[in-house]
Amino acid sequence: MTKKTRYFLAGSAAVLAAGLGTGLVAYYTGGFQPVSASAVANELRYVPANASVVAYADVRAIMDSDLRARLKQAMPMHEKGQQEFQAQTGIDIERDIDYIVASLSSGLDKPAPLVVARGRFNDTQLEGFVREHGGTVEDYKGKRLIVSPTNMHGDVPVATGSVTLAFLEPGLIAIGDTAAVKTSIDAQLAAHSITSNNEMMELVTDIGQNSNAWAVGRFDVLAAQARLPEQVSSRLPQIKWFAAAGHVNGGLSGSLRAEARDDQSAENLRDVVRGLLGLARLQAQADPRTAGLIESLQLTGTGKTVALAFTVPAEVLQLIPKAAEAEK
Amino acid sequence: MTDSPSPTKTIPAAPGFFSSGLRIFDLSLSEMLWSRRTIFMMLVVGAPVLIALILRILVALGAPIFESQRTQNGVSQTIRMTGPAIFGLMIWVFYLRFTVPVLGVFYGTSLMADEVEDKTITYLFTRPISRGAVLFGKYLAYLACTIFVVLPSVMIVYLLVVPMQGSLGGSFIDLLKDLSLLALGLAVYGAVFAFVGAKFKRPLLVGLIFIFGWEQAALAFPGYLKKFTVAYYLQGLVPHAMPNDSTLSLIQGIFRESPSLGSALVSLAAILVVFVALAAWIVERREYVLEQ
Repeated sequence: MTKKTRYFLAGSAAVLAAGLGTGLVAYYTGGFQPVSASAVANELRYVPANASVVAYADVRAIMDSDLRARLKQAMPMHEKGQQEFQAQTGIDIERDIDYIVASLSSGLDKPAPLVVARGRFNDTQLEGFVREHGGTVEDYKGKRLIVSPTNMHGDVPVATGSVTLAFLEPGLIAIGDTAAVKTSIDAQLAAHSITSNNEMMELVTDIGQNSNAWAVGRFDVLAAQARLPEQVSSRLPQIKWFAAAGHVNGGLSGSLRAEARDDQSAENLRDVVRGLLGLARLQAQADPRTAGLIESLQLTGTGKTVALAFTVPAEVLQLIPKAAEAEK
Repeated sequence: MTDSPSPTKTIPAAPGFFSSGLRIFDLSLSEMLWSRRTIFMMLVVGAPVLIALILRILVALGAPIFESQRTQNGVSQTIRMTGPAIFGLMIWVFYLRFTVPVLGVFYGTSLMADEVEDKTITYLFTRPISRGAVLFGKYLAYLACTIFVVLPSVMIVYLLVVPMQGSLGGSFIDLLKDLSLLALGLAVYGAVFAFVGAKFKRPLLVGLIFIFGWEQAALAFPGYLKKFTVAYYLQGLVPHAMPNDSTLSLIQGIFRESPSLGSALVSLAAILVVFVALAAWIVERREYVLEQ
């Protein structure tokens, strides 16, 4: 073998190794996601691959938005409750939480909810608070878990399972069903998280753009988990995936999207939505304030996709304080 | 006076089949890699890389090439393709349907033919190694030569295309399947055309007729004829290697009459072994007459 051939083979092997190495690292870390909400890429690694719903909210952006300021002005919140929560846990909901990722996974006998929150938390105070209420501390694969009593959660009896708080990383906590929290840690360690679910990630990528809150999920799985009566479940629209996204600032804009099982189901759903839109337009003629909102509704979609976009302009939202004052 | 007996010189034993094959592999690899065919191979595998690069640049510049909007019956429609879907499509169209069979035919048929044409086959056949090992070593050189050119090209396409509305991590398993599928395809087509090269007088012509004539026609017609093609078994693995994407459902629908994963793998392995063995058997028995 000549030197030139050796160099060529080494070069080819290097390209192969670099590509495979990059893919392997991406596979194990769940990284290199082109998600617009790339800030959540790390948190999504804690969401198990079998999650039926994943939701995200940029809590900080929503709390700082003009919309919330107006709503707060129109409808004063129960600040006493917030202060009590802050005194006990050290968490100021308005400032300390940056964003949350919530998920719902299929458990053995019931859905297992999980919330992963990024922010600034006083771990000692949080741990003390849970311990005061009878919580126990345990270690699970290098993560510190604080498990609330099995049969009681505060003063409320819990039928099965228990609520667990886990310190995943500095500034990152998870709260949820114990089984869900442990599954979440396993998902991150085994790289078997939702980031390996291409179908779900494509929807997240798509819907997450320019949104500070979104939710993506399997409608059919949720419907099956709800154990609805046969008469009800047979009349549900044949939807496989759903996605909702919203952007909150001065106004509110958002979109709802559904992926039906087949083209016919999607066409039926589009017909239903068209009918409802027509009805809403008739109603809006009598109320000019809602006419702007109804006019902003746009039905789109093709094949198996049905999408509805809406915009609530800032001008409409400015009416909220006035309406609240008028009611007083 | 008596002459002292001269010391006997022992003749070293001839190397075994596999060690002979490896020596031929070592000898043939550079020759094969730096032949004129390599320019053709570079063009064939360079085209998808160039296309992927152009796509990436266009997407980076904001061209909506993966999305198109149209309105039908008052409903606006969005047609969308993702990076993993485009990658799967490129693997099928560029590599599996074209590159693999074409490289197989050009390199596979020339394994022995080049030595005959250059009149150097005598040097190989006068060595104390079996003729079958010569073919086996050349087949290994073909595999190394094509695999080390085709797979890096696939890797570059993967790194360029998949991140566009897709996830490198999420598509990694599909990449591994694709790489295995292409390596298997090169091995099987190489085995078939090594046999064609050893058996027929005009192997390149026979090979081209096989891939562009027989395989295309047999796959198009209903019935059992398609079972006598390599593409039938190879394309039977495509739905297992392609990403799950609704956009590709149409393409995957083409392979509805595909064999199961197990039977496709067993059939391909059988074709590989049988044709390499047949080619070696023919080379062992054939009398090569060099034109003066």
